[in-house]
Amino acid sequence: MTLWAYYWAILYRAMEPKTVQVRRIKSVDQEMPVRVVESSAHSQVSGANSGQTSPPACTLLSVGQAFSGTQNVSNLQKEEAWRVNVRIQGCDLEHGYLCGTMEALNVPMADTPVVTFWEGEIVDTKNYTFYTGKWEATPEDDIRHWTKFPSFQSLLTRVEIDGGKSLDLSNYPYIFMRWKEQYFVNVGTDCGLTIAGFYYVCFSCSDGSINGFYYDPNSSPFQKLELKTTNEGRSGFSFSSYELQ
Amino acid sequence: MPTASSTTATAAGTNTSVTATSGILQRLSSTDQDVKFKALRELKNQIIGNRTKKLSFLKLGAGPAVAAILAEAVMADDGDRNDSFNKNVIVQAAAVLGSFACGFDVGVQAVLDAGVFPNLLRLLSNLNEKVVDAGARSLKMIYQSKLAPKYDFLKEKNVEFLLSLLNSENENVSGLGSSIITHSCKTSVEQKLLFDAGVLKKLIILLEGSPSLRDSSLESLATIFKNNLEVVSKFVGSESGRALSSIIELVKDRFARTRLLASWCLIVIRNTSPCYLQDIAVKTKLTNTVLELVGDPGQVGDEASFAFSSLIAEKEDMQKLAFEINAIDKLYSHLQKDSLHPRRFEGILLALADMCSKLECCRSRFLSLQALDSVIVALAHDSADVRTAACICLRSVSRSIKNLSAGCFMKETVVFPLVRLLDDPSTSVQVAALGVISNIVVDFTTRRSSFIRCGGVKQLVQLSKSMDATIRLNALWALRNLTFQAENKCKERVFMELTASLLASLICDPEAFVQEQALALVRNLVDGCINSVECVFAEDGIILDAVGRQLQSALKVEIGIQGMYVLSNVATGKEFHKEAVMKQLLRYAETGTQSYIVKFLQSNDSRLRTAAVWAIVNLTSSLGAGASGRVVKLRDAGVLRVRTAVGQFSAFDVGST
Repeated sequence: MTLWAYYWAILYRAMEPKTVQVRRIKSVDQEMPVRVVESSAHSQVSGANSGQTSPPACTLLSVGQAFSGTQNVSNLQKEEAWRVNVRIQGCDLEHGYLCGTMEALNVPMADTPVVTFWEGEIVDTKNYTFYTGKWEATPEDDIRHWTKFPSFQSLLTRVEIDGGKSLDLSNYPYIFMRWKEQYFVNVGTDCGLTIAGFYYVCFSCSDGSINGFYYDPNSSPFQKLELKTTNEGRSGFSFSSYELQ
Repeated sequence: MPTASSTTATAAGTNTSVTATSGILQRLSSTDQDVKFKALRELKNQIIGNRTKKLSFLKLGAGPAVAAILAEAVMADDGDRNDSFNKNVIVQAAAVLGSFACGFDVGVQAVLDAGVFPNLLRLLSNLNEKVVDAGARSLKMIYQSKLAPKYDFLKEKNVEFLLSLLNSENENVSGLGSSIITHSCKTSVEQKLLFDAGVLKKLIILLEGSPSLRDSSLESLATIFKNNLEVVSKFVGSESGRALSSIIELVKDRFARTRLLASWCLIVIRNTSPCYLQDIAVKTKLTNTVLELVGDPGQVGDEASFAFSSLIAEKEDMQKLAFEINAIDKLYSHLQKDSLHPRRFEGILLALADMCSKLECCRSRFLSLQALDSVIVALAHDSADVRTAACICLRSVSRSIKNLSAGCFMKETVVFPLVRLLDDPSTSVQVAALGVISNIVVDFTTRRSSFIRCGGVKQLVQLSKSMDATIRLNALWALRNLTFQAENKCKERVFMELTASLLASLICDPEAFVQEQALALVRNLVDGCINSVECVFAEDGIILDAVGRQLQSALKVEIGIQGMYVLSNVATGKEFHKEAVMKQLLRYAETGTQSYIVKFLQSNDSRLRTAAVWAIVNLTSSLGAGASGRVVKLRDAGVLRVRTAVGQFSAFDVGST
């Protein structure tokens, strides 16, 4: 139905200035999801630690769901956007974990679409806060990227205090995440692309859209990823499921 | 000829042995008490630690013969301390009977069949200490077997008698008391009764006794604690935790068996109530100790891996701690040893399975050590328990979506041996193999063909017809996962093998969990390419009808969820498909019966409400030409009113209300 934005950063390595590089992050060790259906009613936590809750379950952010759109990789020299497809392969709200694949189409210098596997951290203030604390991202970098999302503005003051630990996002209509690519699925590491940076991501529970900004200290800043849910030619939304034993 | 003479020699040897055996038996029935006594002593010396001899004597009727001697001597015993010969006969007879029973269930059964139990019990109240000791030793051997009769703690005076045993200064007698508890205390009522009678205090005192007494007391303590929160709470809180500290101290004991049993005790306490033993130093020491004991070459090592599993199973914090002290590497190093005893092999595989059950870091380490190769080899082990454990281990490791996506498991070296196990004569192996297959077929790439090529789909379909509901469940589970986001060719193959009529009958299976998996399978079959929707219309819509029937009668929420997603997915098809779903939703409305869709929209379970709302959204979406007509019909049937009432009209945020 709609196209999806993918977000790739182009970088020319100092040693290999002509190589196209895709920027992605690395992941954390997390429990794998076993049940993949939506979780039941959300827990509410009262008192000072409100916010120690799971984000809202959303069918459009569940396994099997596909998104498509673009990643704007424009630079001073030229305007450029790559087509991108994303599919969710695993989701474990309890542990703030999400994973899936990204497919980048019409990538310059790549013969075929490039597919990568990524893992995501859901900012649920229990497993992860708004502060990344790794991947060369300082709290200032975090705030600079999160504030690019209009839906983040109302959270800014509390996030600046402690990374958002005291926030209760369980009923917030947006889900904030970090996506970090782990490996290339269909090409080798010598494909001329790299996966060094990571994405700050914001998912809208109300329309299933995804916006993101790619971060890599060595890349041009604030490259935008824009994705929308796709129904893959159907007259409506269809959902499949699996369950690991 | 050398061969002939050798045979003759062997036969002669055997004959000599048989003659000697029957000679002893003959002398056991001698009227000369001295001959009888010497025969008893000779018998005792011959069978000590020799199972073959025990068996051959038992076959020749040694059990009843010794039992008769004991009965006669007990009857003749008048409590006179000076009748030393008769008491020596009792002691020897009891020793022989205990030896037959020692670590040998066949022997225990033979001794019990000979009816010696009441006479051995009588020995405990004898005035002669040696007689009491012999009786206690013999009974202890019997109580170490599952075949021993259950001691009834609820019977009047029995607890009193047990306390008298525990109070005895004779370590064999107090040890017998512990063995009786370990063997017979099964229910929470019995645990509470023993606690209230002060048995725990006695057992703690016995921890200061000999190593063997300490060990049997630790076993009894674990038995009384097991799954009894009340007893554990009272115990931990008693004497300012001194009793608990004494068990913690024994984790550092110099004897491996004591360390293991003290660890078991603490594991039972922690598993009964996780709020205890939170001290990181104690947890680390405990984990380290049990892990180190896995390397013990004897029985302790065989049991330690099971203790380790119990310590970490389902507990992410403990798995993390174990990971940090290199548990994966250590367990794997034991797995690499040659000629592992099947029990030890099984235990290590299960320990690795528990380690890899939750944490991705453990699975990564496991895979980086190439441990997968050793586990694959174990799939072909002679022991069914080892084969099952190998499958369970693979099942845990294959929970890694990261590695599933990388295609680490969907390769011939893994798939072929697993598919072979689907024909295994052991049901537990079949079920365990289906568990792994269910995981590895969730291949996010297009590598499913290797599974189909080796006959995997045919086998799964065959097993989905099994008389065993667990096998049907797991076979369908594997098929469901195989069809998740699968390419059309794969789904068509599955549907062709299954057939619409078989699928319809599985949707209506007598077991609810089988119905759920069958519906989840259909849900996946009708997802993806739009043409896939057609499969539910095959054979006059037999599948769609079955889905509708199950939804109307669904007692389990999960059946409602999967069934509604089937309808929801079909409703993303063409107008004809949407109308067929409408027919299913409203078929009961005409008869005045409340439609399940109304019930589901009002459910307390948000997952079920979500599934129901998606079906309505897909039916009433403006993308469909007949959408407005369907809106009218749903409104007339009261469905849309309900949906408004629960505030679920939003097409996207249906899960959060």
